[in-house]
Amino acid sequence: MDFYTNALAQVLSFGPLLAMIGATLLGVFIGALPGLNPVMAIALLLPLTYSMDPLVALAMVAGIYNGSMYGGAIPAILLRIPGTPASIATTFDGFPMADRGEAAKALKIACWSSALGGIASAVALMTVGPLLARVTLFFGPAEYFWIAIFGMASVGVMVGSDPIKGIMAAMLGLLIGTVGIDNLSGQARFTFGQTWLLGGLDLIVVLVGLYALPPVLQLAEKADLKGLTAAQLKLTNVPFKPGEVRGLIPTWLRASGIGIGVGILPGAGGNIAAFLSYNAAKNASDDPSSFGKGNPQGVAAAECGNNADNAASMIPALSLGIPGNVVAALVLSALTIHGLQPGPQLFHQNPLLVGGFMMEMLLTSVLIFALGGAVATRIFAQFQRLPGVLLVPSILILMCVGVYVINGRPVDLWVMLAAGFAGYFLEKVNVPLAPIILGMILGPMAEQSVRRALLISRGDASELLTRPISAGLAIATVLVIAWPIAKAMRRRRAAR
Amino acid sequence: MEKRQDIVLGLLFAGLGIAAAVMATDYTGASGTYPKVLGLILALLGGAVTVRAVRSGRNEARELIDVPAQMITAAVIATIYVALVVPIGFYTASLLLMLALPVALGFRQLLYALTVALVFMALIYLVFSVLLEKPLPREAFLSFFGSGG
Repeated sequence: MDFYTNALAQVLSFGPLLAMIGATLLGVFIGALPGLNPVMAIALLLPLTYSMDPLVALAMVAGIYNGSMYGGAIPAILLRIPGTPASIATTFDGFPMADRGEAAKALKIACWSSALGGIASAVALMTVGPLLARVTLFFGPAEYFWIAIFGMASVGVMVGSDPIKGIMAAMLGLLIGTVGIDNLSGQARFTFGQTWLLGGLDLIVVLVGLYALPPVLQLAEKADLKGLTAAQLKLTNVPFKPGEVRGLIPTWLRASGIGIGVGILPGAGGNIAAFLSYNAAKNASDDPSSFGKGNPQGVAAAECGNNADNAASMIPALSLGIPGNVVAALVLSALTIHGLQPGPQLFHQNPLLVGGFMMEMLLTSVLIFALGGAVATRIFAQFQRLPGVLLVPSILILMCVGVYVINGRPVDLWVMLAAGFAGYFLEKVNVPLAPIILGMILGPMAEQSVRRALLISRGDASELLTRPISAGLAIATVLVIAWPIAKAMRRRRAAR
Repeated sequence: MEKRQDIVLGLLFAGLGIAAAVMATDYTGASGTYPKVLGLILALLGGAVTVRAVRSGRNEARELIDVPAQMITAAVIATIYVALVVPIGFYTASLLLMLALPVALGFRQLLYALTVALVFMALIYLVFSVLLEKPLPREAFLSFFGSGG
């Protein structure tokens, strides 16, 4: 309990508190603009956090993440355009509600549902995370190696539609992670005689390119010249009927449970949580035919489900170093740039920081109640009047300034651009980007752990498999890789 | 699955993996073993993607670029911007980008674009140069006035 009391005291100091409020507002704004998403926003934010206190930096990540998950509901309800991929299910009933003049009510339900889902998820993180971290006290180098490999394998296989391409992306990330001087032997690897490569490719530079440039290019392809008219963004207030809020409670409880479960699974994201929660609400309803025609339960389930995924995805990320989704991978990056090693040691070495981040995930969810209401929604919706073509250069400038300030090196701008173009084409050919970043983050941990384990065992590779936990993790890794491949082969055989 | 794209993708990754494995043979001891193994696995996976694409009977059309004219315009202007940021200065290059890119994408309300550009650049200046005091590439035009920038 002291763990959280101390963390709360730190989080409620001026810097982190201001960061949480500002970032939650910024998150709602980002989510409300189709074309911008939390991943891009956090990727752009990370370079600016180098000189900040880690708790302030993480407060901003938490605020943007939770805020944008709600913000995505604004265009989903008003225009049937999901602001983020996780708000697709919100369009099903949100837009029909807006269409019959209940937009403000739908937005209020989305706001409350997002906040409650986020709170439930943060509570799950605060209870399960430390328990899982306690298990990791028994881990040695062999276990750390398998944890890293299991994380990459599971994300590689589960993110995207093609497991082989996912693992290929993870391998590419691992290989990129070896560029530069080897910490254990001092050997320069893949530097091609370039001194700027001795320190390796900067994670944040690659990350900004991979995650921010492809959406910018897609926004340019759409070439939106007009934005929206004021009439399209008009909201009328329709009050709740008696008992209507009480009727949403079972939906909120169900969707929270589903979202938390999905969040813990590596590779599954907020969109899956929203769809599963929506389907569960529909199946449990006395009137399933009303879903898709403006049933408030549909909005509540989708929004509660996608926010309940948020903090839960940090459970494996913080305790094991395995991110449940791309944002969790970005949180690990944020920790890395502050000199902290993601993974099992984090809870033991930096308890205040981990506890503080958990508190920030909880408080930014609570802030959605206060900051995401109809008034804020009315203001943020107005930004959708800005033509999309004006956003394209604005984001490019933010990318460049963010990358340049890291090392003050022009070459980083070219690396970012190259990573961005590569990311654009890799996404088009179904190669997921998350495993590349994960490979870069976990690669050094995997390499150092396996080499330490082999040093301890005097080169005996069986040491990696003979300890019970490492053997269990190795079997789990093989199963994670083999299961989807076997399933795909079975499907292909059945199709013949 | 788009056959040709997957064949090329697989070959690219296989080539990258083989090149990495060959280069890693020059590194001493365990420093070389790890990247060599990674390179070989990458080559194997790339090969698997290529073989699968060659053997597959399906060939679903998949556009590599949805709207080539707009995408190439944005990509070229972004590249020119990155090339100009250091020689002509961050704020000058960024202001030009804020005006040139929307116009190149078909936006014709120049006054609107200029207003948004000025407001946005003022915000960037306040945040990065005033508040965070981050050094950015200096403006070339300032040298005409003999200023240190």
